[in-house]
Amino acid sequence: MKHATVTTRSARRLSEMEFAGWVGAAAPGDRLEYHRGFLAVDTIPVISKLPEPDRAALKQTAGRAWWASEQRLVHLVQERLGPDLFAYLAIARPKPKHAEASLAALLVDVEAA
Amino acid sequence: MRPPISRTDLATILDEADTAAARLRRRLGLRRADLDDLRQDLLLDLIQRLPAFDATRGSIGAFAGIVLRNQSCRIAARVIRERRGWNGGLLSLDVPGSDGETLAEQLGENDGLSAWHGQTASGEAAVERRIDLARALGALHPRDRSLCAAATHSPVRVLAERGLGSRAGLYRRIAELRCALAAHGLRVA
Repeated sequence: MKHATVTTRSARRLSEMEFAGWVGAAAPGDRLEYHRGFLAVDTIPVISKLPEPDRAALKQTAGRAWWASEQRLVHLVQERLGPDLFAYLAIARPKPKHAEASLAALLVDVEAA
Repeated sequence: MRPPISRTDLATILDEADTAAARLRRRLGLRRADLDDLRQDLLLDLIQRLPAFDATRGSIGAFAGIVLRNQSCRIAARVIRERRGWNGGLLSLDVPGSDGETLAEQLGENDGLSAWHGQTASGEAAVERRIDLARALGALHPRDRSLCAAATHSPVRVLAERGLGSRAGLYRRIAELRCALAAHGLRVA
């Protein structure tokens, strides 16, 4: 059955944990706009126009988004909306239905460590 | 040491227990299959109380009758209390249904006892959770996997004392681990 993708745009800034929770629960193809603006500028101290707590939170969320893409959990894309204005999107990827190693083997490794 | 009970007294006790169990089963409206359980509960209590039997005060039959009656009251009260808790009677999973299948065979996983108590009872979901867990743990750095394992047994204070890092550092790593595990689909139990 074809899954209807869901695009989510939060009315407020997402925390790193909220972003991670979305990644964990998203179906393949679901899209989340986790920032709108100019990420490279908005995350840099002094240059950013965001209040410092918001800037720090955005930097963490953006870092988690990058990490999630490296883990092959999401695709990261950006959509140009205007001059210096982008929508930053995370698109959920299918989660692999197998593990690199069995749970038992991992637990044994941990016990041995 | 108290002398072993005579064969005659033993026969009396067993007879009394049989009668008491049958009476209790009938009064509570329990199934025949419950008779043995009742008999065992009654006998066990009676045997535990046998050292208190004083032959000068009455026969073993009278003693057994009183003990069995009291224990029957306790069992009846327990059964009634359980029935109230379940808002009715209990059904045995071994009861055969109209089409020959037992109740256990007719109940789906999601209708089982665990589901009634709000627990996730889906075998498919359990398998997926296991895969998610293996995949998430496999994606972690071995150092973080060790921290996960250690944190399941010990608080951060103890981990810091063991030299796994400073408390602030450990809290920061655990916060990062929470995010990573959440992104892999794992939630707080």
